Amino acid sequence: MAVVLSLSACGGPMRPEELARSVDTLSSSAAEGALIARDVARDRTKDTFARARSRELGETVDHEAEKLSDATPREEIADEKTEAVSLAKDISDSLGDVRVSLGNSEAARKAAEELDDQSKRAQELAKGL
Amino acid sequence: VKFFLQIALGIIAAIGGFVDIGDLVFNAQAGATLGYSTLWAVPVGVLGIIVFAEMSGRIVAISKKPNFQLVREKYSHRVSTLTLVASLVLTVLTLAAELGGLGFLLNYFFDVSVSFFVLVGFIAVAAAAYFLPFGGLERIFGYMGLALIVFVAASVKLDPQWSQIGNGFVPEAHSSALYWYFVVGLMAAAMMPYEIYFYSSGAIEENWEEKDLKVNRANAIIGFGLGGLIAVAILVSAAQVLLPAGISPDSIGTVALVGQVPYGEVGLLLALVGMLFAVGGATIDTAFSAAYNLAQHQRWKWGKRMPLLQEPKFSLSLAGFALIGFAIAQTGVDPIALTEYAVIFSIPVLPLTYLPILLVGRDRSIMGKHVNGPVSTVFGWSYFCLICVLAVAAPILFVVTNGGG
Repeated sequence: MAVVLSLSACGGPMRPEELARSVDTLSSSAAEGALIARDVARDRTKDTFARARSRELGETVDHEAEKLSDATPREEIADEKTEAVSLAKDISDSLGDVRVSLGNSEAARKAAEELDDQSKRAQELAKGL
Repeated sequence: VKFFLQIALGIIAAIGGFVDIGDLVFNAQAGATLGYSTLWAVPVGVLGIIVFAEMSGRIVAISKKPNFQLVREKYSHRVSTLTLVASLVLTVLTLAAELGGLGFLLNYFFDVSVSFFVLVGFIAVAAAAYFLPFGGLERIFGYMGLALIVFVAASVKLDPQWSQIGNGFVPEAHSSALYWYFVVGLMAAAMMPYEIYFYSSGAIEENWEEKDLKVNRANAIIGFGLGGLIAVAILVSAAQVLLPAGISPDSIGTVALVGQVPYGEVGLLLALVGMLFAVGGATIDTAFSAAYNLAQHQRWKWGKRMPLLQEPKFSLSLAGFALIGFAIAQTGVDPIALTEYAVIFSIPVLPLTYLPILLVGRDRSIMGKHVNGPVSTVFGWSYFCLICVLAVAAPILFVVTNGGG
């Protein structure tokens, strides 16, 4: 039944609540990436964990970006969708920075700040939907 | 020390049962989404599993009948076969999810590839199941899983507002479907049917007799109580770390971070080790439960206590279920989504699993002086009614809330 209802929700232009769900995922991923990056900067995490987890988050964000790119939004949220795609690319780049910042506390701190900022941008975007 | 070693069955059944991969994430999601407000559902579920585990262990000690033998004897052939098929599907799906979870957890230690570590995890668990005696399996996976106590320490170190936590243990009238989705899921997670399958069959493996009734009671209360404490701690610490940061956990890695925030790398490692053994324990629980159920239903010889060649059907079915779980895990299916489906859709199987225990527990001709007393009777039937309500509510809430999303 869940599958049938989920399928019946598919099709047609993307609705604001669907876009909001995607943007929430972006916000959450960015916030978690920031948390990891801060601990990388302070050398209080395990490198393999930080790298593997930030890669998983990056894949989640890339998947959301692809879904958003493929979706046709309702006219009233077209600008917000474009902004979400752009934000997803920024978050993905910052998560990539976390993966290559191990052992470089300055780079990790910078990635954490960017991800914090991107998470806030995503929250603002979701609020307006 | 001897007493502590004797309660290993309860600990592995509880740690592997309701702190498995899906529940680790589900508990963290409840805290990260709704704060402390659904805390009360955990002790309600824990008390339920204690009541039924104690009853099923007592039945085994007196009558030597594990859960699926009761199912076979108390139901018609058609209903018992339906119960068997439903339990096998759900248990093997959960087994696949646990193997997938092992892949993720091992990859956090080495960062090579999740699918490679699903294979490594599968081989490691299969080797443990083959080479270790039943007691060794219980102790290694149960006691190493206790590293999850880092979440108890974390929830205290993060300086929570105790009055708010106290309020979380008081049920409240709520109109939000999402709130009830988490309440139902938390209760269901504590009462997953395979915990009872494993516990009652494990009691046969350990050859419990009438003299072991105290050990049974201690296993049920302390083992499942510890599991419940850890479940509460994960929910509380997620509410403290993830909710303010706006993080919605969708992976077991997010749950491990909750240990890292207060204690740094040591906290992270303890959380990862605890989760690794809890998920490994759940892999053992589910693989054995599926084989136990099939063997008991088909009247085969079964049990790890016997040599492999004396019970070839049981051994082959254990290997077969493990391979099916491994094949599903290797498709790359999301283990969290898989266990969440398994938790929610196992609820309709719960009444079929628990009813025979209640019927035999009250049967004086089988149980003699150890028949259910007034307390067991009242709690048992009250929980059975609750389980029936959950069985109807769970799928509806799952659809209405879009799976808690």
